[in-house]
Amino acid sequence: MSQSVSFGKNLSQWIFTTDHKRVGILYLIGSLAAFAVAGLMAVLIRVELSSIGPTITNPQTYNVWLYFHGAAMILGFQIPALTGFLANYLVPLMIGAKDVAFPRVNALSLWLFWMGIIVALLTFVVPNPPDFMWTAYPPYSIMSGGNTSFYTFTVLIMGFSSIVGGINLIATIIYMRAPGVTWAKLNIFVWATMCAFILQLIFVPVLGSAVTLLTLDKYLGTHFFDPAMGGDVLLYENLFWFYSHPAVYVILLPMMGIIYEIVATFAKNRIFNKKVVVFGGFIGTTVLSGEVWVHHLFTSGMPNWIRLGMMVSTLLISVPVGLMMIGLVGTLYRGAIQYKTPMLYACGFIFLFLVGGLTGIPHAMAALTLALHDTHFVVAHFHYVIAVSGTFAVFGGVYYLFPKMTGKMYNEALAKLAFFVLFIGVNVTFFTMFIVGLKGMPRRYFDYSHMPQLEHLHKIQTYGAFVIGLGALLILITWLHGAFYGKKAPTNPWGSRSLEWTHTESPPGPGNFGGKPLDLPEDWDPYGYGVNPD
Amino acid sequence: MSEHSHELEWETSPWPLIVCVGILLFAPLAFSFHFVYEKPAATLVSLALGGVLILISVIGWVKDGLEDKHGWGAGLSFPAMPFFILAEAFIFVALFAAYWMIRLKAPHWPPAGTPHISMVTPVIMTVILVSSSVTIHLAEMRHEAGNHTGFLGWLWVTIILGAVFFFLTMKEWSHLIGEGFNTTTNAYSTVFYSITGLHASHVFIGVALFVCILIPAHMRKTNSTFIRTASLYWHFVDIVWFFVVSQVYFWL
Amino acid sequence: MRRRIRTASTALMTLFILAVPVLASSEHESGYEKTGIADPVEGWNHLWHEMLWDITVMGVIFALITIYFMWRYRRRFPQQEGKQVKLTFAGMMLWALLPAAIFMADDLYLAGKTWALYNTYRNVPENSMEIKLESAMWSWNFTYPNGVQATNELRVPVGKPIVMRMKSRDVIHSFYLPDFKVKEDSMPGRVTYLWFYPKEVGEHVITCAEFCGVMHSNMRGTLIIMPVDEFNTWLEKEKANI
Ligand code: HEA
Ligand code: HEA
Ligand code: CUA
Ligand SMILES: [Cu+2]
Repeated sequence: MSQSVSFGKNLSQWIFTTDHKRVGILYLIGSLAAFAVAGLMAVLIRVELSSIGPTITNPQTYNVWLYFHGAAMILGFQIPALTGFLANYLVPLMIGAKDVAFPRVNALSLWLFWMGIIVALLTFVVPNPPDFMWTAYPPYSIMSGGNTSFYTFTVLIMGFSSIVGGINLIATIIYMRAPGVTWAKLNIFVWATMCAFILQLIFVPVLGSAVTLLTLDKYLGTHFFDPAMGGDVLLYENLFWFYSHPAVYVILLPMMGIIYEIVATFAKNRIFNKKVVVFGGFIGTTVLSGEVWVHHLFTSGMPNWIRLGMMVSTLLISVPVGLMMIGLVGTLYRGAIQYKTPMLYACGFIFLFLVGGLTGIPHAMAALTLALHDTHFVVAHFHYVIAVSGTFAVFGGVYYLFPKMTGKMYNEALAKLAFFVLFIGVNVTFFTMFIVGLKGMPRRYFDYSHMPQLEHLHKIQTYGAFVIGLGALLILITWLHGAFYGKKAPTNPWGSRSLEWTHTESPPGPGNFGGKPLDLPEDWDPYGYGVNPD
Repeated sequence: MSEHSHELEWETSPWPLIVCVGILLFAPLAFSFHFVYEKPAATLVSLALGGVLILISVIGWVKDGLEDKHGWGAGLSFPAMPFFILAEAFIFVALFAAYWMIRLKAPHWPPAGTPHISMVTPVIMTVILVSSSVTIHLAEMRHEAGNHTGFLGWLWVTIILGAVFFFLTMKEWSHLIGEGFNTTTNAYSTVFYSITGLHASHVFIGVALFVCILIPAHMRKTNSTFIRTASLYWHFVDIVWFFVVSQVYFWL
Repeated sequence: MRRRIRTASTALMTLFILAVPVLASSEHESGYEKTGIADPVEGWNHLWHEMLWDITVMGVIFALITIYFMWRYRRRFPQQEGKQVKLTFAGMMLWALLPAAIFMADDLYLAGKTWALYNTYRNVPENSMEIKLESAMWSWNFTYPNGVQATNELRVPVGKPIVMRMKSRDVIHSFYLPDFKVKEDSMPGRVTYLWFYPKEVGEHVITCAEFCGVMHSNMRGTLIIMPVDEFNTWLEKEKANI
């Protein structure tokens, strides 16, 4: 009896929680659920593509799977895992605040996100699910029998969630830093998050408008995208990419941020050229990211001068991102690197992001992209940047915070094994995808019987996808095992200097710092390594 | 939660979860039931259920906020409002961009099928909205000065002005629809209804915020940050209206 | 310190100035050959290889340095801490501006090269033959200048540049010729174009590259490049059949 009462109390303390750490963890659970379902879809997609002709399904179902895979991975997994889970969990701890500025609004943004996931999952139970891919270009998305409103509401609800969440964290960062946590000393992850949220605030509303207009057109008969009545299909594409390009930097910035934290902690080293990374790298990317969206429309009949201008601005993004990479590699310089699992993910990230980022360059070159656009080459590029680098950042972040979140340690050997399985799997799958794409395989193809020479490469990718799946399964096992049977974690297992490790319990209690105001010494520095020479 | 040791308790509030369930029922599900699956009964049920949940949680939320049960204060909502306004502004930017793109491509404007649109109503509406922006400012000043009756009076005036504005929008809509000018008529009707509709929804939310201030205010419970924040939002709604009225009505 | 900044900025300016002639000289890139017709495919292959070298060198430099650091600076004993160099202001600026200048120079170089090739792609040669294309779910419909129509099979004479004027009856499609390294969307409400140069007799795949519904992956066709007289006979025969 009393046990069930305490269980009930426990449960209600979780689902009604307004504590940023618990909100963060619930974000993580939701986004991992989205990852698992969307990953399952990916495996089904790969099985379908493993041989010519229909393999396990029909085109209609394939399209629904692919729609769900793209939408859920980006809106349901990557953005919430980085800006929902990591930012919520870490930012107040890193700046020494007892919670975010508006704890209830934070819970609101969490549950909005979950409602978005629910709407997205309805794809699998309703009679006519959306089948128009995560880009939902009209006129197809308007003509299709698929339920456009589910797509729209997934986007709107998740968008609203990230706007209120973003305002919340921006206000927290600006107004709730503990005395002594100055702008100059702010953790680099906090800077990255701040930039990412500013992007969200500016660009999400535009995507929201775009999909709303789509729904108005479809269900209320307006003519925004109907050329016969003076509308324009390119209007949607522009509005959509006006958000969805910056969205990739909403993903990139926090993932860089967390990788920096991991590298600094495990190399026990100060960040190389931190100011330049923040101002040149993060803020530079933030500023540039709004002026490049047409690179997704290089074959869409946009005027030539726009294509050329946006090509140059897209190529120039490699400057701030290159500065970030230099800072990252430079942080290894003269470090004392200890290879725990999070550090393996961070090092893996450096290599794989190079592959992904540099293959963005040919897409940006307007002439080369005429052949590459909408082929599997693009798919390979963005899987390297989002699905591989981004996932590495999230998983690395979870391993990094695991002792803090659960108060337990995970099994290092198992975690390393899972890492290598994953590392091999992603490269097998996505590197071969470059070749397939270069040979002309278009995206979103259910079947490619006119290109039979590509079949064996597709087969290899499918095997690779199973290896990734195995890796993900091992990771899940590591986490569950750690959470239930792990050894008790010390408060600061990694020896970090950052507030979230030095000044809190594992896991931190309500109010984070035991209810006492923080008293930081004058020379406190989250990266104050190597101050007293050995 | 216990008053004395709230630092050591996990803070909770049921309203965020409940309002989200309400939103789920009220918006995506009701919309799909109505427009996609054409199930009137299910639509009504989910609208009603969702509406009730949203209403309950808004009341609960406001109540918690005024009692300041958790000791959070609403201290930061005023400085946070500009960020929300930034995001809101971009919704309008997107719609105006859509409007301009359609408009500048059109061979002639307004396109065929547009009835004569009177310029009198928009002028009246502008006057009303601008004065409501002034009255809310007066209310805010009275509140700051501790003049509760004066505050209540000006708040009432603001709400009435806002409601009249909203009513005028609806009246004009029904008038135009009566003339056969509806969302499907042409490109102009498309932008006309979406932009004025978006703005009207903001007016509605603004008035709702004021009602959330007014009801407890009659019981002498107010929160000055909340009032300042709502008033800032209202000024934004007012400013946007200038763009709406100049672009959609007068630039014909 | 002032002087160093000045040196750095001079270096930057020099790099910019050096980049200009490179940009200007990128005319060769367009792939003109003896026939006098620019063949974008050749330019594409050329630029592709150049780009590939470029990004590979960039990537390999970064990767090698990373690997070296990973090995060289591994932790030797517990409690060891890193000893990051402390940059002076000038050092900081140098580490910002010098890489930025190099990256920017590289970007502008690539942009310049692309620009030239892109113009080749978008400027249709004078003597080309215009074929109208209307796409529909899920087929390609071609109309020849003399009114002959064809579906999914595009026959063209060898050696004559072909320009497609494209529109769509329903949704957005994308006319993609993998072997000719070119595609362009066809959409309702706008007319778009692309051109290609059928140099040799043969058959090539036409395939739709913009998602257009259930049968998107079945929206294929064949490009048949024929000897000129064969083509003319075929065209006359078709014309007579109308
Ligand atoms: C996290 C996500 C993420 C990130 C970070 C990026 C980063 C980049 N992307 Fe990517 N992209 C996507 C996610 C992402 N992208 C997605 C999801 C799509 C497809 C969407 C869809 O259609 O469904 C896409 C598609 C896409 C396209 C459209 C392709 C098409 O459809 O035809 C283009 C075109 O320009 C592009 C370019 C770039 C560039 C130039 C970068 C740059 O930011 C990369 C910069 C990084 C580097 C360059 C490497 C590090 C730098 C150096 C080592 C310095 C030295 C280098 C040089 C000087 C070159 N991307
Ligand atoms: C974050 C983004 C993300 C991620 C992680 C992935 C992951 C994967 N994607 Fe994804 N993909 C996209 C984003 C992403 N993708 C997008 C945006 C598109 C474009 C859609 C469009 O065209 O509109 C796309 C399209 C796309 C295609 C193109 C299909 C086509 O155009 O026809 C393919 C084909 O192979 C593919 C494959 C895969 C595979 C094999 C994985 C694998 O990495 C997946 C591995 C994951 C699993 C196998 C899950 C296993 C889970 C468990 C075992 C449980 C364990 C759980 C925990 C660890 C919590 N994807
Ligand atoms: Cu037509 Cu795809
Ligand atoms: Cu992009």
